[in-house]
Amino acid sequence: MFNLPPPEILLQLSLNGALGGAMYGVAAVGLSLIFGTMRLIFLAQGAMIILAAYFVRALFYGLGIDPFLSLLIVVPVGLVVGWLIYQGLFRKAAAEEDRNVSLLIAVGLMFLVQNLMTVIWGGNTAGVVTSYTATGIELLGVRTSFTRSMGFLIALAGTGLVMLFLRKTIVGKAVRAASEDMDAATLMGISPHRVNAIAFAIGISLAGAAGVAVATTFPFNPFAGFIFSLKALVALALGGIGNVTGALAGGILLGLIEAYVQFFISGGWTNAIAYGVFLLVLMFKPEGLFSRPYKKA
Amino acid sequence: MANRLLEISDLEVAYGDVGALWGVSLHVDPGTIVALVGANGAGKTTLLRTVSGLLRPKAGDIRVSGRSLVGKAPQEIARMGIAHVPEGRGLFRQMTVLENLELGAFQPRARPRTKQLLEKAYTLFPRLKERAQQKAGSLSGGEQQMLAIARATMSEPSLLILDEPSLGLSPLVVQQMFSLIQTLHGQGVTILLVEQNIHQALKVADYAFVLQTGSLAMQGTGAELIADPEIQKAYMGVLE
Ligand SMILES: Nc1ncnc2c1ncn2[C@@H]1O[C@H](COP(=O)(O)OP(=O)(O)O)[C@@H](O)[C@H]1O
Ligand SMILES: [Mg+2]
Repeated sequence: MFNLPPPEILLQLSLNGALGGAMYGVAAVGLSLIFGTMRLIFLAQGAMIILAAYFVRALFYGLGIDPFLSLLIVVPVGLVVGWLIYQGLFRKAAAEEDRNVSLLIAVGLMFLVQNLMTVIWGGNTAGVVTSYTATGIELLGVRTSFTRSMGFLIALAGTGLVMLFLRKTIVGKAVRAASEDMDAATLMGISPHRVNAIAFAIGISLAGAAGVAVATTFPFNPFAGFIFSLKALVALALGGIGNVTGALAGGILLGLIEAYVQFFISGGWTNAIAYGVFLLVLMFKPEGLFSRPYKKA
Repeated sequence: MANRLLEISDLEVAYGDVGALWGVSLHVDPGTIVALVGANGAGKTTLLRTVSGLLRPKAGDIRVSGRSLVGKAPQEIARMGIAHVPEGRGLFRQMTVLENLELGAFQPRARPRTKQLLEKAYTLFPRLKERAQQKAGSLSGGEQQMLAIARATMSEPSLLILDEPSLGLSPLVVQQMFSLIQTLHGQGVTILLVEQNIHQALKVADYAFVLQTGSLAMQGTGAELIADPEIQKAYMGVLE
């Protein structure tokens, strides 16, 4: 059907796909955490990422703060905002265990954030252009963009830190326990509101980190977030819901798929194929591609 | 009366419109093993889940050392010293044995002493030490039940609630389970034990209550109930 391109091109494609996909991955890690404790698909995650991107842009053009340096601001602010979003918007619905209400709140928040961004920054495409935006670097023998590589590093570091928190701290273990069985977790004295709020805080601070990666890499507009949420959802399904490293891997895999589809088929097919893969995975391997079906003793 | 550890009075619980418990009263004194027995569907699990706050009662009161816990959330009740090993064990199957035990000591009361409590649990359950890094879900049924009980003891509870710990275990493991219950009792742990294994439960119990379709049918010391002809006919005649 088509000739296989030379290996450099394949490598280039894979690298760019993986680097871009890592951004879906961080978004998916946030979704995974929030879904874990609340069983809520936080559809506003993409909008929060774009909001963070605008924030990074404002810090850059307004105060001259380097976008990568602004991680030091965006990540802690994200923790606080996430905590507040939970306490202010979701706590009551979570207490009543009404997941439909929670989902509607997430959708409402998404529209609110989108439209606030439009009012404040206008609906046009915006971007952050720094001295290094066009800089390329050599990676694995192929040239790629510096900012994309940084985005990838941010994704790895963010996911790594979340993993450490979940595996090494008792509060992180409580979050994992609550994700597995909330009733049993409460019997240990774990408060659902506490773990939900922690999941939200971390999820939104990851959105902040992803916002830095997006701002430095892509042009964006207030409505770009929704697609991001959907892609993160695909990444989540690929990686296995409730599996943090799987979510990152799922994002990278989705990035690869998109890069290949774009090159070998056509750009018009990327989204259709991404969502097609999403449905196929949910139908045939709902536990995700990277998790073995769990064997009972 | 004054020093009752657990005092349940006129408890009514319903699932939606369907009643499950009608005016049940029972009590547990400190340092005792109390058995709650009855046929499948009698409402034993419902009662335990109401005590630990997973269900809300329609009426009645539940007091622990005189303090009412009605309306409190399960995590608050856990922090009041009630440890509930639920039916089906409620283990975090994807987490390691060690992590499960650590979470048993999550509450502020116990957390600073996690290390000592862990050592204590390992002395009682050496098997769990060997398996510390294994996922809880990979243990055998008996080991899982031991882990669930060990995890509950990590909070040094004033009341340990066990919902059918012998369910699904082989006869040999059931024996180990009951001797473990007696060991814990010997260490001064107060236990509310729900069992379908009625004969065994009555043998270890200081006092017992018999639940029948949501109401209390009988109560007495373990020895009295074992000797009771009606109990023998209803619950043990066909089994033994
Ligand atoms: N989640 C539930 N929803 C509705 N009815 C329930 C539920 N759980 C138990 N029941 C009903 O409540 C009654 C008592 O059940 P349960 O407390 O589980 O009994 P036991 O533990 O003694 O076997 C039964 O009639 C059962 O069908
Ligand atoms: Mg039961």
